[in-house]
Amino acid sequence: MKDKSDTHLVEYAVLATLAVIISLLFYYFRYNHGVLIFLSGVSSLAYIIWGVLHHALEGRLTKFIAAEYIVFGTLVFFLMYTVLNF
Amino acid sequence: MSVLKGKKKSNIIKDWRQQPKSIEKFQFVHHFLPHPEEKRRATLLSNRAVIVYCVAMLLIAGIFRILPKIVPGVLGYASDIAVKDLLTYTNVKRKEAGLSELRLNSALTSAAHQKAEDMFKDQYWAHISPDGTEPWDFILGQNYDYIYAGENLAKNFNNSRDVVEAWMKSSSHKENLLSPNYDEIGFAVVNGVMEGYETTLVVQMFGRPRNAAQVASVYEEQTVLQKESSATAAVSEREPEAEGVPEAVSEPVYTPVAPEKPAIDVTTATKTVSAVFGGFVGTLLALDVWYSKTRGIHKFTGHTAAHLGILILVVASIWFVLTPGIVL
Repeated sequence: MKDKSDTHLVEYAVLATLAVIISLLFYYFRYNHGVLIFLSGVSSLAYIIWGVLHHALEGRLTKFIAAEYIVFGTLVFFLMYTVLNF
Repeated sequence: MSVLKGKKKSNIIKDWRQQPKSIEKFQFVHHFLPHPEEKRRATLLSNRAVIVYCVAMLLIAGIFRILPKIVPGVLGYASDIAVKDLLTYTNVKRKEAGLSELRLNSALTSAAHQKAEDMFKDQYWAHISPDGTEPWDFILGQNYDYIYAGENLAKNFNNSRDVVEAWMKSSSHKENLLSPNYDEIGFAVVNGVMEGYETTLVVQMFGRPRNAAQVASVYEEQTVLQKESSATAAVSEREPEAEGVPEAVSEPVYTPVAPEKPAIDVTTATKTVSAVFGGFVGTLLALDVWYSKTRGIHKFTGHTAAHLGILILVVASIWFVLTPGIVL
């Protein structure tokens, strides 16, 4: 049987990999605002999905936790959008 | 308070009622620190609070959009771009690609200035003006008879290196920059108000003259560079040509002007807004991690460390990676 900490490690590794890929894409497309806004949206969505799936796999997903990931994902998007919009 | 039951709960409430200041202190502190009894985050990290931050950022972005329409030129993009640097960086890129260096030509420089002035006058950001004027019309207007010609545009950049790097990152602009078909180049770095924002437009025009003997000399290049020593220059009306003097060798008239700086640099302002909100939420999350760990609070929430990690990454990207410049 798989240890719970192993599962956690895999899930965090997925999040870290996503963060590294998105950071590299951000750097590569740093002069293309259209692509950066798209990437901001994708990264926020990816974070929300990761959060929901992670808690669902843990068996502790609630509406409140899902809402928390949605609002934090939205905050992350707006932080980027406020700068990229100008 | 759901986890406190019966007598214990009533005793705590009874004690608190006798000490209203303690209640106030408790309530204030837990705006910033997790609630141990309720097993939840600080009030200022609640979902509702985060929604308020999102709305506040939207409102601020809206103000930054509306303000230039009410008070044009207050918000803008501060820049420190120089023709000499643009020429140097362009030729460095060409040399790295094994190509010949481009010589600065006065006619192409003048055409670039006219294009920049035209964009400010008619408030457009495009290769072709609203009345259908094409880049070639500006070049031909300077009696520059070419075999090949090209144009790159940039706006809102802070420095010359970023402008050239941005062109190199775009395939179509890179194609112009590294084309073996060009011998000469002209630049314009002009300040003005575009859509209410004080900004700097950069126009880069390439060409190969039909007559190879017409390629600019080192002397001509130095003359143009001297006139462009200021980061900004405004083009005045061309003086009438003297009879018998070929127009191609006539020089445009530039009046150097001091670089205009906007009252508020929109790049710094928006980055600061994002950093303040991101930093505030990030600090509260860090406090949450520390306080929960030291007090052994297990909350029924999402992963604070994950939120904090993503937030740090985003604020760092905003501050160190994002640039306001756009190329066309």
